[in-house]
Amino acid sequence: MKKVLFIFLSIAFLFPYHLFAAEIFYDADTRKVKANTEFEVGVFLNAESENINAIEGILRFPADILEFKELNDGNSIVNFWVERPSRRVENEIIFSGITPGGFVGKRGLIFRITFLAKNEGNGKLEMQNIKALLNDGNGTAADISVSPLKIIITSQDLSLPPKKETKDQEPPESFKPEIARDPAIFDGKWFLVFATQDKGLGIGRYEIKETRSRIFGLFPKWISAESPYALRDQKLKSYIFVKAVDKAGNVRIEKILPRNPLRWYENYENWIIIILGLVIAYAIKKFLWKRHLKK
Amino acid sequence: MRCNAIFTKTAFFRLILGLAIFSSASFFAPQFAFAVSGTVDISGTVPGCGDGVIQSGEECDGSNLNGKSCSTQGFSGGTLSCNSNCAFNTSQCTSAPSSGGGGGGGGGGGYTAPATGVTFSGRAYPKSTITVLKDAQIAATTVADANANFSVSVTGISSGNYIFSVYSEDGKGIRSSLLTFPVSVTSGATTNIGGVFIAPTIAVDKSEVKRGDNIAIFGQSVPSGEITIAVSSEEEFFGKTAADPNGAYLYNFDTTQLDMGQHFTKSKAAKEGAISSFSKAISFLVGTKNIAAELSRVVTKGDMNNDRRVNLVDFSIAAYWYKRSSPPASVDLNGDGKVDLIDFSIMAFYWTG
Repeated sequence: MKKVLFIFLSIAFLFPYHLFAAEIFYDADTRKVKANTEFEVGVFLNAESENINAIEGILRFPADILEFKELNDGNSIVNFWVERPSRRVENEIIFSGITPGGFVGKRGLIFRITFLAKNEGNGKLEMQNIKALLNDGNGTAADISVSPLKIIITSQDLSLPPKKETKDQEPPESFKPEIARDPAIFDGKWFLVFATQDKGLGIGRYEIKETRSRIFGLFPKWISAESPYALRDQKLKSYIFVKAVDKAGNVRIEKILPRNPLRWYENYENWIIIILGLVIAYAIKKFLWKRHLKK
Repeated sequence: MRCNAIFTKTAFFRLILGLAIFSSASFFAPQFAFAVSGTVDISGTVPGCGDGVIQSGEECDGSNLNGKSCSTQGFSGGTLSCNSNCAFNTSQCTSAPSSGGGGGGGGGGGYTAPATGVTFSGRAYPKSTITVLKDAQIAATTVADANANFSVSVTGISSGNYIFSVYSEDGKGIRSSLLTFPVSVTSGATTNIGGVFIAPTIAVDKSEVKRGDNIAIFGQSVPSGEITIAVSSEEEFFGKTAADPNGAYLYNFDTTQLDMGQHFTKSKAAKEGAISSFSKAISFLVGTKNIAAELSRVVTKGDMNNDRRVNLVDFSIAAYWYKRSSPPASVDLNGDGKVDLIDFSIMAFYWTG
């Protein structure tokens, strides 16, 4: 028993970081891939015994042998991205986000990346400037370790199954956009905030439409937007539609009613209907009058 | 003929007037409804939750349950109601499995596939409001019974991985810390998470206490629960007290044993073998005078727009200032002159959804 304790304490003394620290890890330690095939790498967080609520870092990949194809943040433990995972330069993916309340667990998916193995050779996926913060109200940095992922691109036929095609037929989760105003941003103008998750391939983009028309509101174009979004109609007389589109093209649209709706006489649509009514009435009158004269 | 012409003109004007009124009445009826709601707006009621009309993001509104019942929410019976935030209150729904037919091998109730969702049950504080966050946004609320027991369901969601969080607010408006649950939701199945024990709320009566005087540490938990109080110093002091039948507890701590300076206190509860996690730690100063503490009803840190909530609006304000120079003091939560991941981490700790 003493011997076991001695070995344990020795290891703890020699490798304290790896024994108790949170860890960023991948699907596997080594990936052997045939050239000219696509493959996916999952990046995970093992919080160990900690409660981690914020994480950021830079993932560097060997651009001489790998070509970045796409990034999937569906099913991520990160609820809100401060910087959505994206390629900053040719061989770097930057990410930064939070999990309110924190994450406690051994295998929390952060995101998945798809690469094309374009040339034969060896390389590593490495994390840099990685930072994980504790859910303690002070933003205390947690000890975190990262092991690189070895990539071997070969011409050999590895008889591995091709990259699994993920079918995503579910729209993004329902959400509730909110209108707010604060002197700290947009010079105190009204703005819109929105965010949702997609449990399939992840959110692709958001689009917004503001319209004062109820009937002809179908016609204005959707415009791409990010939260927070400064509203064009600062009088809040418009209907606001927010469209979340996932990477498979599934759509979720949420609508906000105008806070200060137009009076009936302020809506040009109503006048169009009145004028149409008058024209029709005049035409009927003409028609009846002609029939009356003929008699 | 003249008379006839006069009649025709009158009829024509009547026809025009009639058509105008008809078109106004038929086509603008909804618009008039908005105008009425606009009037309510002026009196201070914003159209939305509480107007009896189910709108985007609302599951129900007042008595309008959108045709839903306990059975459509995955329960076998009971009474479904609507919370003040227009989310379903399933606390009065019963989850006993629907029994099959009667005796003699007779038929019975048909099988209803369970809704995809998650049900949380456990203990909070008597008559307190429990809020469930789904991926950090409010998904459901309910009210605990007099014994502090609650059950709340989130349904109508996709299969996949979610981070659910649960917190409660006591009778004084003090919120507990978030309890988070990473859950993998399976399609067509209801995941039950039982035994949730929300940590007590905690407050102190003095922000600064004269060394040697008592400081009152109080809050709310389960009725008649055993409360353990921890006070940090060079060594940690522990004390025990019992909550009353309403779950309220009070512990007078003698500060003679503490050094001068800032200290923290937190509490946890135990009842019938179950133990909660520790509450948020709150600070007080041991000094030379007594200064009464303001009851922290209002969320301070992270609440950038002062709406007593820390949510996506605050996150968006902070995100706007991320890596920009000279952020306002209200956004720079740790006062280091910049908005970075630390500020977001602080906000995530105080999150309310």
